[in-house]
Amino acid sequence: MTVPPIDIAAGKVAAGARLTRDDAIALYRHAPTHQLGRLADLVRARKHPDGVVTYIVDRNVNYTNVCVARCNFCAFYREVGSPDGYVLGFDEIFSKIDETIELGGVQLLLQGGHNPDLPLTWYEDLFRAVKQRYPDFKLHALSPPEVVHLSRLSQLPVRAVLERLIAAGMDSIPGGGAEILVDRVRRLLNCYSKASASEWLGVMETAHELGLRTTATMMYGSVEHPEERIDHLLRLREVQDRTGGFTAFITWSYQPPNTELGGSEATGVEYLRTLAIARLVLDNFDNLQASWVTQGGKLGQLSLTFGANDMGSVMIEENVVRAAGAAYCMDEVEITRNVEDAGFEARRRNMHYEILGEPFFRRHAVPRFTALDVAREEGDAHVPPELDRYPARSRAGKLRQLPAAKATR
Amino acid sequence: MTTLQEIGTRLGGGRQLTAQDSEAVVASRDLLGLGALADDCRRGRHGDRVTFVRVQEIPVDTVEAGDIEMLPAAGEARISGRIPERGQAVRAVQRVVSAAGSIPVTGFALDDLAETSGWKPHAIVDVLAALKDAGLSCVAEARVERLPGPEWLEAASRAGLPIARLTVGEPAGDAGGVELIRRVAAWGGALAHVHAFAPLARALPAQPTTGYRDLRQVALARLLADNVDSIQVDWSLYGPKLAQVALIFGASDVDAVSPDDGWLGARRAPLAEIIRNVRASALVPVERNGRFELVQT
Repeated sequence: MTVPPIDIAAGKVAAGARLTRDDAIALYRHAPTHQLGRLADLVRARKHPDGVVTYIVDRNVNYTNVCVARCNFCAFYREVGSPDGYVLGFDEIFSKIDETIELGGVQLLLQGGHNPDLPLTWYEDLFRAVKQRYPDFKLHALSPPEVVHLSRLSQLPVRAVLERLIAAGMDSIPGGGAEILVDRVRRLLNCYSKASASEWLGVMETAHELGLRTTATMMYGSVEHPEERIDHLLRLREVQDRTGGFTAFITWSYQPPNTELGGSEATGVEYLRTLAIARLVLDNFDNLQASWVTQGGKLGQLSLTFGANDMGSVMIEENVVRAAGAAYCMDEVEITRNVEDAGFEARRRNMHYEILGEPFFRRHAVPRFTALDVAREEGDAHVPPELDRYPARSRAGKLRQLPAAKATR
Repeated sequence: MTTLQEIGTRLGGGRQLTAQDSEAVVASRDLLGLGALADDCRRGRHGDRVTFVRVQEIPVDTVEAGDIEMLPAAGEARISGRIPERGQAVRAVQRVVSAAGSIPVTGFALDDLAETSGWKPHAIVDVLAALKDAGLSCVAEARVERLPGPEWLEAASRAGLPIARLTVGEPAGDAGGVELIRRVAAWGGALAHVHAFAPLARALPAQPTTGYRDLRQVALARLLADNVDSIQVDWSLYGPKLAQVALIFGASDVDAVSPDDGWLGARRAPLAEIIRNVRASALVPVERNGRFELVQT
């Protein structure tokens, strides 16, 4: 009698053996959702037998929404010269860091658009200024496509850009911009030109070689086939085999509202299945985060049964997913309540997944919040004065830097 | 202690839960195990089928105010809100029935009607009979925590009016919620004319419930209340994501899908969304109306 493929694959998981592409596809396509969850939970418990679920107190800051990439799944970006375009000033970023530290935060997750008027020196100056004021505060900054953008803008190799950014204070790299690491999909999403799959992986591998730790992500549910999600996971697994530099994996569903691509969002069950299969394929990743910001608190909590061992970030601020209509919010109290309600112990961590301690709010008076902050209040169009120190590349930027334009500000 | 696996084997063999089994499932913290057990139980009754209904709510205080505009996609016209007296209720039903045409009209809460009738069994039978004569297809709900006992459900049965669903009005907490499920289970055959049980509270608690608690409640309802045909989730109250996951934790009927296709286009209309969500759970969506009759979509 032939053994069904999902039973073979499930047997491999139980035995701690590695899944092949075919195994993963069989499980992802055909295993009952409870079975998939059960297997993912088994692997999570093996890797994290202490019953601890971690989270980080940090803040998602998007330093600019001006972007030349024009990804058709993105609701956040504004074109160069748009009246809604913004660049945060250094002082604004310092204020956000002050607020983050008050809430027990230890780092900024700093990402933004591909703004042609922000040269590499702007980033170096920002990072140095942050490190000068806040020596212990960490910068989890610039996803691989932003690094590729800076490489093209500065006409320097990726390695040289990374070396300069590290010298200025970059501590680690977030895994944004991965979408699906299959070039057929990237072309359809109009994000191939911002970074091909190999370029994205190349930045991460180089960063790992330079001693940085990074995260990896996957945005699913746009135009890809389920097999391409598995291919994405396998490509990450290969890099991780070579470098061991990824600390965590985060997946979320494409958020269609207000995007050029449109369509409908993948369902909650699809999220749980995708998370679970990621836990099974990524056998060399220690940590999987729950994406409560796209799925809501309830599914975020249920993620802990489907392979996740980390509730991600308190976030404090979020702009990208919000632009696409999702407005979920969990402060530290709420994250802790959900973790404990699911039967785990909640612990704060840093980007390296080192435990920092019990929930911050248990020992400090911190304000509750029920909505995530935004980069800037609507209608605030002020241009930070330090931008004039950096030569603009775009026509709109150059016009802004003309003496007559400066005088009217 | 009996394991969930042993209970599953017994249920698979067509046996019912014993008192010891019930204690074991209530004590279990294994959410996936409970979910799988409840899912098996659900599939034993309904196979892959999930029913849903598109509901147009009509607040009772608006019925006399003006014309009632029915949405043609509605499968149920539901009169919501409390009525101060029998005459007004009868007039409201007549007006909505006249506007709804072939769409079944449901409305009111059995406990409200009982209260209005002074909790007198014979009086409520009269009220229900009058509402039925006016064209009411079902009483929309009966709140478990407000009903003193099953005799009120039997009264509705005597009047020939089915109850669409048992609901939980106020949040009762984890233990309180289980007690309400046990109460429903204890009402046994009195639920012969009750179509569904919606075990998640309709009023929002001061502190939100969690995904674990909600799904546990759904799974326990399916496992313990074997005298109810369907466990129901509310699409608009609990949201598509949780409601969808509940479908693989024991729920088989989805209430309160909007009949308004709105301006988002066919791909994101409520009908497309519910169908997509049910199919993504490897289940088969089937639309029903307010009388729980299946309809062609």
